[in-house]
Amino acid sequence: MDICATYRRKLEDHQISPPLAAILSLAELCATSTAGTMFELTTALNEGADLLKHHSSNPISLTAGCELFIAFVSLFAHDSTSFSDLKMELVRQGDAYVRQALAYRRRIAELAVDFIKDDSVILTHSYSRVVMETLLLAHRRNKRVSVYVTEARPRGLGVKTAEALTAAGIPCTVILDSAVSYVMEKVDFVLVGSEAVVESGGLINAIGSLNIAIIAKAANKPFYALAESYKFHRLFPLSQYDLPSHNPRILSFASPVEREKATEDISSPASPDIRSVGAITQDEIARNNPDVDYTRPDLISLVFSELGSLTPSGVSQYLVGMFAG
Amino acid sequence: MSTPTINNETPSTANSQPNQKSMTKAERRELQEKQRAAKLAQKQQSQTPMNSKAKSKTAPAPKKSSTGPADVTQSSGADASKHHLKDTVAANMDREAVTSKSRSLRIFSHFGLPKYGSGGKGDIHPCILRLALQFSEFRICGANARCIATLTAFKTVIQDYTTPQSNTLSRHLMSHLSPQITHLVSARPMSVTMGNAIRQLKLEISGSDIDLPEQDAKDLLCHKIDDYIQDRIIVADDVIQNFALNKIKDGDVILTYARSSIVEKVLLHAYKMGKRFSVIIVDSRPLLEGKALLQALTSAPPVSWTLSNDSLLPPPPPIACTYALLPALPSLITEATTVILGAHSLHSNGAVYSRAGTALVSMVAKQHNVPVLVCCETYKFSDGVMLDGFGKNELAPSHLFQTSSPQTPNLEILNPLYDLTPPSYITAVVTEVGLIPPSSISSIPMALGKISM
Repeated sequence: MDICATYRRKLEDHQISPPLAAILSLAELCATSTAGTMFELTTALNEGADLLKHHSSNPISLTAGCELFIAFVSLFAHDSTSFSDLKMELVRQGDAYVRQALAYRRRIAELAVDFIKDDSVILTHSYSRVVMETLLLAHRRNKRVSVYVTEARPRGLGVKTAEALTAAGIPCTVILDSAVSYVMEKVDFVLVGSEAVVESGGLINAIGSLNIAIIAKAANKPFYALAESYKFHRLFPLSQYDLPSHNPRILSFASPVEREKATEDISSPASPDIRSVGAITQDEIARNNPDVDYTRPDLISLVFSELGSLTPSGVSQYLVGMFAG
Repeated sequence: MSTPTINNETPSTANSQPNQKSMTKAERRELQEKQRAAKLAQKQQSQTPMNSKAKSKTAPAPKKSSTGPADVTQSSGADASKHHLKDTVAANMDREAVTSKSRSLRIFSHFGLPKYGSGGKGDIHPCILRLALQFSEFRICGANARCIATLTAFKTVIQDYTTPQSNTLSRHLMSHLSPQITHLVSARPMSVTMGNAIRQLKLEISGSDIDLPEQDAKDLLCHKIDDYIQDRIIVADDVIQNFALNKIKDGDVILTYARSSIVEKVLLHAYKMGKRFSVIIVDSRPLLEGKALLQALTSAPPVSWTLSNDSLLPPPPPIACTYALLPALPSLITEATTVILGAHSLHSNGAVYSRAGTALVSMVAKQHNVPVLVCCETYKFSDGVMLDGFGKNELAPSHLFQTSSPQTPNLEILNPLYDLTPPSYITAVVTEVGLIPPSSISSIPMALGKISM
């Protein structure tokens, strides 16, 4: 079974986020695995998880899902009579968890919507399903909200958010990533989703979140993060360069000669006659830039998860209690 | 206050030994009284060190009290002779006692200071006597080393112990150990690690089976002690080394302060695993412990080729070390990528109690946005809350670490051994259960439970 293909197939469903897709893929791996003992099964799962991490450009959020499922499998108290029964049971449990997890967004929205006052101006970043759910719920509850959304280069997902919100009838403006400090004065609070919430109580999210958090702190505006508990990840980054997604290629200084060559390579097949030596393309910039950044816990006001509204230190206490216990 | 003390003391000492023949009756009586009081005072000091310390602390307040201390300068009439007498007593004591007496900086008078010549009680086991001497001379120094040494000595004590008639081991052994502990504490105040270990030992003793033959019970206790040392210290250190290893990357500059056994292990382990990093050792008087770390790092055995990601890597060059004293810290901190520190104990509010100077280092690091890691085993956790380094501290005995000219009459030497780093200056605590933000420390002992020895 090709776990990476399964993972990609699962991700095609719009509701499924990377950690859930990872759980589903691993559950499927359980079903097809030929393992005859618990040890073999755990080894197979770990190998599958490694494969997924290896083939993903941004392994942080899916790792949280893999970790959760493998911990679940090794601690699962079962009463199955045979090993194949157990495997089927694990698959059922995985599916059940994912079904249950899909309702988490709704619960988080219910928690967070009380923090949205009528006539609020909200700044959000990029596209996040749980932020969308919350904003739409506030709108349905007849709260007049207006939303600024960052364009969030290089992926430009902010436009997707703006389209969806405008379609729902929420006033929404796309701002440049560089215009965050300009707009911060007008904003009541910042609301972002997350890729992962880490043990320090900090946040890993699409690049640019740290900028917004720092600016919000400087302007004394609350910075709220929304995260389902399956995004809680046992990781303690000390800095941006300590993230698992960091590699030496990111933000490296290319020597001028190398860069010239690289531009040639890219431009030659597409447009052999236009030699744009010296012009830096958007692609080229994106290639050497990080996808995610780490927001320190002292910049975050609250993290909403389906477990409740937690302070960053509350998140770290929960994680410590869960894994160190 | 301290200045007149010494001025006053000198002439009185000179007057105190006149020729007996040339004395009047009253003078002779006075001398007699004086000698008796001196004897008494010496006895008191040797028997109840805590008591005498308390007295020296409380006494200075009332000016006319009969136990008036040496530093009350103006007294008159009948008090004068007693006052004079007290001075003599003070002068007669050995040098160390004088130093401790004249430490009249009252706000520090509660700081623990080793007391010499104390604990002459008969029951002290020789190995405890030796250990106490090693503690007081700072031959065995450091929270882990002292805890291991204490537990090892207790193993000998337990093996040499026989339960008296009509008594049981579980009830009597602790009363046998108590004076040994008191003796150790009189040599140097107890560390949090020793306190935790002894509490655990007490629990084990009181829980030991009454019906067990004596030798078996003793063996079982020694076995439990071995397990404690193994699980909570040695294995914990190994796990911490691996956690810390992940936070050291090639090209890093690690800054550390003084010497911690676990930090030394972490750095040597990282080097052995082929990491290429350099170290800045910041050190400070009076202990200058960083020299030992420098020695250990620069004499690290060369590493062979290492296997990483299926490719052989050439051995890293020897660890490049920089040694500097605390005043140079601000200019060095900009070079550092990570600060790794050790700890004496860790309090439930996340504050780290460690060698004096640690707070300064972490504060400067925080100011420069350098992450601060504190390596600390979970057995160093203390339930209490500390707010500053004044409430509880320990003084380094000046005679051991004095480098300036010893006889400067008006100079008080004050060397607190520890200080307290507030949790806000610490990025993470590296424990054997993982990297933990200091704010979450309180949830650890709960999760870990007071697991048995």
